[in-house]
Amino acid sequence: MIAISGVTKTFQRRGGGTHLAIDSIDLQVAEGEFVSILGPSGCGKSTLLYIVGGFVPPSRGSITVSGRPVTGPGPDRGPVFQEFALFPWKTVLGNVAYGLREAGMRKREAERQAEALIARVGLKGYESFYPKELSGGMKQRVAIARTLAYNPAILLMDEPFGALDAHTRVRLQNELLELWERDRKTVLFVTHAVDEAVFLSDRVVVMSRQPGRIKAIVDIDLPRPRHRDELLLQSRYQHLVIELERMIEDPPEEIRP
Amino acid sequence: MTAAALATRTRATLLPGLPPLLACLALLLAWQLYARTLSMGGIPDALSTIRELPAILGDRESLADILDSIRRMAIGFAIALAFSVPLGLFMGRSRTVAAMVNPLLMITYPVPKAALMPIIMLWFGVGDASKLLVIVLGVSLPVIYHAYQGARAVEEKMLWSARAMGMSGPARLARIVLPASLPEILVGCRTGIVLALITMITSEMIARQTGAGNILFNALDMAQYETVYAMILVISALGIVLDMLFEYVRGLLTGWAEPRHDLLAPSL
Amino acid sequence: MTALARNEALIGAIPILGLLLGWQAAVSAGVAPSALLPSPVAVFGRVAQNLGDPDFLGHTAVTLYRLFVGFLIALAIGVPLGLAGATNRIAGAALKPLVRVLAPVPKIALYPALILSLGFDDASKIVLVTADALFPILLATFQGAAMVEPKLVWSARAAGTSPAGTLLKVILPATLPSILTGSRIALVVACIVVFLAEMITSTDGLGYLLVRAARNFQTVDMFVPLIAISAIGLLLNGALALTRKKLLVGFPEED
Repeated sequence: MIAISGVTKTFQRRGGGTHLAIDSIDLQVAEGEFVSILGPSGCGKSTLLYIVGGFVPPSRGSITVSGRPVTGPGPDRGPVFQEFALFPWKTVLGNVAYGLREAGMRKREAERQAEALIARVGLKGYESFYPKELSGGMKQRVAIARTLAYNPAILLMDEPFGALDAHTRVRLQNELLELWERDRKTVLFVTHAVDEAVFLSDRVVVMSRQPGRIKAIVDIDLPRPRHRDELLLQSRYQHLVIELERMIEDPPEEIRP
Repeated sequence: MTAAALATRTRATLLPGLPPLLACLALLLAWQLYARTLSMGGIPDALSTIRELPAILGDRESLADILDSIRRMAIGFAIALAFSVPLGLFMGRSRTVAAMVNPLLMITYPVPKAALMPIIMLWFGVGDASKLLVIVLGVSLPVIYHAYQGARAVEEKMLWSARAMGMSGPARLARIVLPASLPEILVGCRTGIVLALITMITSEMIARQTGAGNILFNALDMAQYETVYAMILVISALGIVLDMLFEYVRGLLTGWAEPRHDLLAPSL
Repeated sequence: MTALARNEALIGAIPILGLLLGWQAAVSAGVAPSALLPSPVAVFGRVAQNLGDPDFLGHTAVTLYRLFVGFLIALAIGVPLGLAGATNRIAGAALKPLVRVLAPVPKIALYPALILSLGFDDASKIVLVTADALFPILLATFQGAAMVEPKLVWSARAAGTSPAGTLLKVILPATLPSILTGSRIALVVACIVVFLAEMITSTDGLGYLLVRAARNFQTVDMFVPLIAISAIGLLLNGALALTRKKLLVGFPEED
């Protein structure tokens, strides 16, 4: 479904010189697959996601989605960002209905569908609230609903739970899995949390830093549907977590001139 | 730092002067074309105005007048800074002081200080004192306001640490609150410079004794249009030079601060 | 109003009352002849008297007209230019140096040139107000639009909004707080500048009233237009604060 081939991204450094962010990435993601990109901060994993989203052009290489080359953003790939990126001037309802209205749907119908989605992410009753009145976890639920609203075939999730407290993060992981079990969208999920990647994914792509390269791709052969409490006790799960943790263990950060 | 890095850094500090220079040239060119074509000779063109400059700047009396304006502005600016910064900082650290001074600031801000000239002239005459006073009034308001905003935003924990180190109240104000508020104070100073210029020109126009504003409006009254345009050029150049000087000082003082969109500090 | 806010309002009234009392005391003590320093009672009495005077109201209306037209033109030019400069690289490269040069020029010095090319009537004063109000609005818009979180734009683009559409649907609303902040500064400057322009050359408006009173040594009448422009500034500021509250319901509070 997603084919990434030879994608390289270099950035212009301020004051001259270039910085190689990611180098020659090749990756195939099948339809309905949940793939996590795991790596330390600064490994370019988010950049890769932005390139797939069409927000940032690659310096070299190409990406196709369902056979068509990516030239820009499109409603077939819905992003969910760590920063939520909700429109502060719109209510919860307005945010979730945005994509439907952009697709040309009438206001009334768009709001009806948005209300249903808001209920599905557990925020019934909050339709007329503004984002600033919500907690972090609620904001991210709204952001997910806003993206699900225009029914993208692919979800691009950029450390979506990274800004949340530990408790909320676990709850939202569970809710995401429930949502995903229902319609099995293709998901590309960027994270630096090993347990999160193992819990959610079918495959985990481990990236190294500077430049960002694929270090390994690990199959997560845990049965679904997964339940966190059962999973934590399984030795297979524990082994996977330990294996991945060792893989991303990094030499101490050095300060580069 | 490597030689290459040093070179790029020097280039980065030299280059910013170029685009504004080009912009100046483009503006003069536009003026020249406009004067020559569209305005049908109604206004002097850029070239003949520039040719007029030596006559003004070479004339002892007008040069002395212009320098007089600059001197008044500098003194007024210094006096205003001397009491506005401490007052603003104090307001930022004490709610009571802020509550006391704020309403007064609110009602005096929209009053054009130069418009007080006719009244102040009644009291202090047409001399230096009146003109200085209005400049001080004009500059002090934005400086007080921004010093207040800056001091209010100082991280409370920074002051706790200073206190834990045994620093006294006044020392905290001078050694922590002042430097931390400096970027914001400088925003106020920039507004202050522009207001000082406006006040200077209009007060001289009203008092009509000396100064750049006096030359400008006298020339207008006597229909010496070349002089009018040449003086506009002189005063504009003064504004631009002061702005560049200010940017330079700001670079020296707050090089440590987060880079902000420099062009964009709110100015009047 | 909370008790704290009420207390602060009371504290804030102290220096203003003190000033008025000191003024009255100076007059009563005969520090200066009333031709130089009229009593506050006389001044505010004249203000109250003028509020019912069609002549005074007419001058006020003229000033307000120049102020608003000049300000609205500045808004109509400044916001689109600021947005263009922040979102388009070429526009930004052309705009930045021009603004760098033109913003610090004291616009009041251009006024003689404006008189010479536009005449002594409204046009030259309105253009002067526009020239002075333009830069705070332009700069604030530019800054606000340049700092819009790119992920807001990306979210809209992914939802199917065209690049041009994001300008109106995302960047403009996200820049609104900055535009209003710039407008606030611009309005204060507009008050100051329209008044000064009217003092320099005019046959009407509040600035003219001050000059007329000064020429006739009517000291009491010199205070009236000053109090009027201060009140106009306060009212405009209050109106803007209300607009802000209405337009920016969803944005984080800022005082």
